[in-house]
Amino acid sequence: MRILLIEDDQEAAAYMAKGLKEAGHTVDHAANGTDGLFLATSERYDVMVVDRMLPGLDGLSIIQSIRAGGNATPVLVLSALGKVDDRVKGLKAGGDDYMVKPYAFAELSARIEALGRRAGGGQAETRLKVEDLEMDLLARTVQRAGKAIDLQPREFRLLEYLMRHAGQVVTRTMLLENVWEYHFDPQTNLIDVHISRLRQKVDKDFDPPLIQTVRGSGYSLRAAR
Amino acid sequence: MRPGSRPALPSLLRSTTFRLALSYLAIFTVSAVALLGLVSWSTSMFIEWQVQETVEAEAVGLSEQYRERGIRGLAEVVGERARSDTERRTVYLLVSPEGERIAGNLFGWPAEELEVDGWIRFSIERVGEGRFATEVTARNYTLPDGHKLLVGRSLHDAKRVKSAINRALGWGLALTILLGIVGGYLTSRHLLQRVYAMSRTARRILGGDMTSRMTASGTGDEFDQLAETFNEMMDQIERLVESIRTVTDNVAHDLRTPLNRLRSRIDVALLSETDPAALRQTLEETLAEADNLLATFNALLTISHAESGSEGFEPLDPAQLAADAVELYEPLAEEKEIAMRLDATPGLSISGDRHLMFQALANLVDNAIKYTPPGGEVAVTVARTAAGIEIAVADTGPGIPAASREAVLGRFVRLDATRSTPGNGLGLALVAAVARQHAASLALGDNQPGLRVSLSFPAPA
Repeated sequence: MRILLIEDDQEAAAYMAKGLKEAGHTVDHAANGTDGLFLATSERYDVMVVDRMLPGLDGLSIIQSIRAGGNATPVLVLSALGKVDDRVKGLKAGGDDYMVKPYAFAELSARIEALGRRAGGGQAETRLKVEDLEMDLLARTVQRAGKAIDLQPREFRLLEYLMRHAGQVVTRTMLLENVWEYHFDPQTNLIDVHISRLRQKVDKDFDPPLIQTVRGSGYSLRAAR
Repeated sequence: MRPGSRPALPSLLRSTTFRLALSYLAIFTVSAVALLGLVSWSTSMFIEWQVQETVEAEAVGLSEQYRERGIRGLAEVVGERARSDTERRTVYLLVSPEGERIAGNLFGWPAEELEVDGWIRFSIERVGEGRFATEVTARNYTLPDGHKLLVGRSLHDAKRVKSAINRALGWGLALTILLGIVGGYLTSRHLLQRVYAMSRTARRILGGDMTSRMTASGTGDEFDQLAETFNEMMDQIERLVESIRTVTDNVAHDLRTPLNRLRSRIDVALLSETDPAALRQTLEETLAEADNLLATFNALLTISHAESGSEGFEPLDPAQLAADAVELYEPLAEEKEIAMRLDATPGLSISGDRHLMFQALANLVDNAIKYTPPGGEVAVTVARTAAGIEIAVADTGPGIPAASREAVLGRFVRLDATRSTPGNGLGLALVAAVARQHAASLALGDNQPGLRVSLSFPAPA
């Protein structure tokens, strides 16, 4: 993917760019708001990562400007401001996702992947399919290898999220925010317990296992390689 | 100037109050001058009218003498009256048709032109003690036989009365202006002193003395109201500054230990480890420790966010929050062989921050599961009480001794001295902060056995 990184902290930006390049992305970096807006409007990117507090022009103004220009490139807002209200402001300005500093690189990388893929995917799907796992979003049924799997509503939503992001890394925080819709910090490995329950139903009696644990990051739904 | 001592004169002259006093004084002076002018004018009109009345009365008397005793008698009376008026307040002159003086105390007919109605005004030199000039107003009559009579009266007394009145009015005016200036000066100095007192207090606060407060005079006037509002504002600011200071102190104090551990782990690895696998192992452990540190840091930030106000509140269904928390933690409880029970009254509403409320509830459930032995039960209840709405989390664990219940609400407090159970010791502190933010009261009670933590929200108004 082609990623624009607008971040004034040179060291953090260099570290981020290095990590993203190693993951196979192309990264352009702007160290201030003015350069950032110029790049954002003159080049085409798959995802933009914008820091909220920037010299020159602040992050939210950049997002508002590019959105006003009809540019729908997914934007991940980075901020040291973590209040719910700040998050709402960030998303209202046209951001697609919001991350509070400090963050783990794995989290950032997973979210960028998710944003980049989302841009391409069709919105009105009624069926999801990964390998031999099938989900009918209208009938709310799940089958694997033709066998019906009975899921609780939350398990259904968890699996749906994993299937929509099949092949990508999905972090625990992303699951909490998107499946449970709470921004909070569980002190225990809650998500792991839910995933292991889901595994019982989806993977236990089938081969190959589809729900993979990505060490240090989260989970990924794909056939084990 | 520095507003320190008493107000200095130049700044006092520039003060709003003094300028206001001066403009009032100017308006007052103009109207007073107009009023005094009117008084003075009407007084002099009255005095002149009185003088003319006297002259006419005199003339009436003389005309009676003329009618009764003819010209000779008139001359006699005029001569007599002229002689008896030693101070020459009244002047008389009787002349023949040819213009010859017959009687009177004037030596000749005045040269001045006649005014309307036969009135004439002229000056004479007075003889007697101290000669001086005086103005006279007189009326002349032509008798039927051609003789002419002039009767007049000196304006000397009238002038003295007039000037006495004018002097009195002038002094009065001068006194008024003086009192106005002095009064304006004193009033503005008094007000300025109060303003400067406030300014001094503000400067002391600017200088770092956060405990300084304005003093009220006790009259409850607008200055007192201002001082009161200012003091309330300062109380609030002091509380906020204090809470920021507490957070900063805690962060500095409590993050130092894990940071130090992190540092020495890296230090030791760099010194002794050479095996790449062992180094990798150390790096992974270090990363896990850094993540813990971040989690602690985020918990502290969440606490301070919860302490910073009620921004972003929305109506929440406590039963929904409780159900979500139970649903989220149920697999974890099951893994530990703990039963989870939800007993929530639906349809209630509280105003709050969804995410912080959920975090608080999750912390309570998390704690309950952590401290409850296998086979126990964790119950989450939402109920309407007499006072409002209560959300409670009860477990069948060891509970907390009554004496320690207050202490566990503080930051980084862990009753488990060995720190064998995972956690950062911020869980209940966060719940306490969220409770304060939502004006809810947090109570730790006995579940017999176990701990029962309840959040009581006041009934919505």
